[in-house]
Amino acid sequence: MASTEERIRALVDANLQIEGRSAGQPLTPDLNIIDAGVSSTDVVAFWRLVCEEFGVDISAEEFAELLTPSDLIAYLDSHS
Amino acid sequence: MAPALATDWWVPFTQLDDVLVTHVDLVPGETKEQEAWTWLDGEERRRALRFQHTGARRRYVLCRASLRSLLCGTLDCRNQQLALGASEHGKPFATVDGLEAPIAFNVSHSGQHGLIAMAPRGRVGVDVEERAAQRNLDVLIDAVLGPRERADVMAASGRQKLDVFLDLWTLKEALSKAHGLGLSLDVSSFEIPPDIRNGARSGVLWMPGMPEVAWRLTNIGTNRFAAAVAQEEEGP
Repeated sequence: MASTEERIRALVDANLQIEGRSAGQPLTPDLNIIDAGVSSTDVVAFWRLVCEEFGVDISAEEFAELLTPSDLIAYLDSHS
Repeated sequence: MAPALATDWWVPFTQLDDVLVTHVDLVPGETKEQEAWTWLDGEERRRALRFQHTGARRRYVLCRASLRSLLCGTLDCRNQQLALGASEHGKPFATVDGLEAPIAFNVSHSGQHGLIAMAPRGRVGVDVEERAAQRNLDVLIDAVLGPRERADVMAASGRQKLDVFLDLWTLKEALSKAHGLGLSLDVSSFEIPPDIRNGARSGVLWMPGMPEVAWRLTNIGTNRFAAAVAQEEEGP
């Protein structure tokens, strides 16, 4: 079974464009995806894809506080 | 008279009643980026350096410097007197010599385009999105649109589908930014009024649970980008 970090990394690889990062590379734990140049439309799509992948219902307000890999992974590990 | 940046890379874009919208050219340029950097304060420079994406950093620096110059001109102050802050959800405000300035403003950028909206009253929000393909368009349609809006988008075909979606998205984003909640607001919980969805440039919306506040929404998009402004209407 893939870890939460691996599943998030796969979602990032398939759906987010982060300059200087190639698919498969480790995620920078404390990098805010908005600071990484991800557009607001991609952030919203990513939010929904995370909910679908992990079978959780994260509100928009909650997700706005989970914009780094470390925060998101910690949340998912405790809620899914 | 407040000083202005020597190299103006921004121009007035449109005026909506008392909302002035300025377009910021975000195409890379060494001279303007160097000049813009000199206008930022220490905290803004630290924030800029946190951007790992050079494009995101450039957009932030150029928009921030032009915002500072515009605010200095409007508030008749020097850059050193001006400080910019943000609420918990990111809504910006300005202070001059430590006192909150009587001005509302909002900034958005996408690709090579930045927009700054400024108004002397009320709350104001602006959003811009380059008309670029969205890899998860169907996910976005499901996530942010209400049933009638989804029907409007699905009735369009080809490239129009993206354009209709981006027009609705920027209107909703402008409203959520004016409201002050940014990404925290579930924008699928309200729909853009039918007159705007049917092609009117501007209309008024009351959000669910907030009957006391009317919001003026205006589509200011072009063929290069989708864009919208939201402003709190004056009370009765």
